[in-house]
Amino acid sequence: MKKVAIVDYGLGNLRSAYNAFRCFDVDLNVIDAGDRLADAHAIVVPGVGSFDAGIRGLRARGHLEALQRRVVEGGVAFFGICLGMQFVFESSEEGSETGLGWMKGRVSRFPDGENFPKVPHIGWADVRVPRPTRLFSGIESPSDFYFVHSYYVPLEMDGAAHAAGIAEYGFEFAAAVERDNICACQFHPEKSQLAGLKMIENFLGAL
Amino acid sequence: MRKHRLIATLLVAGGTVVQTRKFKPTNAVGNAFTAVDFFNGWAVDEIAILEISRDRSGVDRFIEIVEELSRRCFVPLSVGGKIEQAEDALRYVRVGADKAVVNTAASDRPELIAEIADAIGRQSLVVSIDARRDESMPSGYRVVVDCARRDTDRDALAWAQEAVERGAGELLVNAVENDGDKRGYDIDLMRIVSGGTRVPLIAMGGVGRWEHLVDGIRLGGADAVAAGNIFHYTEHSTKKAKEFLAAAGLPMRRSSFYKVALPRRPKYRPF
Repeated sequence: MKKVAIVDYGLGNLRSAYNAFRCFDVDLNVIDAGDRLADAHAIVVPGVGSFDAGIRGLRARGHLEALQRRVVEGGVAFFGICLGMQFVFESSEEGSETGLGWMKGRVSRFPDGENFPKVPHIGWADVRVPRPTRLFSGIESPSDFYFVHSYYVPLEMDGAAHAAGIAEYGFEFAAAVERDNICACQFHPEKSQLAGLKMIENFLGAL
Repeated sequence: MRKHRLIATLLVAGGTVVQTRKFKPTNAVGNAFTAVDFFNGWAVDEIAILEISRDRSGVDRFIEIVEELSRRCFVPLSVGGKIEQAEDALRYVRVGADKAVVNTAASDRPELIAEIADAIGRQSLVVSIDARRDESMPSGYRVVVDCARRDTDRDALAWAQEAVERGAGELLVNAVENDGDKRGYDIDLMRIVSGGTRVPLIAMGGVGRWEHLVDGIRLGGADAVAAGNIFHYTEHSTKKAKEFLAAAGLPMRRSSFYKVALPRRPKYRPF
């Protein structure tokens, strides 16, 4: 049975992601120390929280190094969810820490103001699928997914080059990205009912 | 395009789902697990479960119920009732709640809102406001607490604005007189609050026909519409409600069907 690691970095609610992944036939483990990621076939980084606190939490538990080693050098399948997607990029307007930097670009904040929709963006939104990817295999375009966020990956640099899903909130942004073994989405597949479970099945099915 | 949400509300007292009228429990309608399974399968966009017993004796059991429910709930789950400090909200989140709903304790001690927002993030904090029409208040509505058993000195709109200022991510607004009354939402109240705040407003209380859901959005300015009682008695109720809203021209989530094998999905464990 494939070993799937859910990365615990000390913040956010892992429970929802855990509940969804545990419905599938995998050996699922919550891992709170980077050295225990060594034998995982897939690594999931979920989470709601702030960018800097998240990166610091990853570093403090030895996950940052382990992720570079396992995902970049080892080619292990990676799935970032919400904040976990933002970590994949170089930096965020939310803080001063450096991201994993696997994709080029900077995470931005939705603008506040009368001419823009309310922030945070909470709720279901259409995600359109610009190209065939593993994540969206068999999922129609557009499909609804559940979002909770104030920061987003702009459709610039790798956010555009590797966009696997595109959503709109005042303007279009990257709702999901995929490149080789690295996939990530801004929305919550674990809370997006059948479309989300289908996406998790797609990810696990490719292991 | 903003999509509106349809939220199914479960009120739990002493471990059972109950219906209420003007905030007083009337009858038990059954088991929370079967209810959530139905809603989950029937296109509902979100589920809210609130513990409304008079005392705290049922809290531990309620937490067990939430924990079990969250294992099989693949839409956002909001949990409220008996939150008196930030730790209570965190406890719900730890057992699988996506959002915490706070009402009376926030009105009694408003600092609590910021404390909870710091602990779980403001996007996960719903402040629930119950109001009663009262012409002596500036907005025409007075805030009541403790399941409408106690009046406060707060004006409904002023309190909504203060709650947002202090860290509420969403507002859940219910009118006492309309609760369980099947006459529809209190549209004036919804319009006053939605017009004066900039966070998502969830309208609740009084849905007796699907048209009331449309009115809550179109006339009341609500972002999301919640109902409880009505869903318990209609087969495929949430699906029908969604179809009604979509047919009225409102942008709603499409509930596409995908065949997904879930070999280890937890089995229903009766309490």
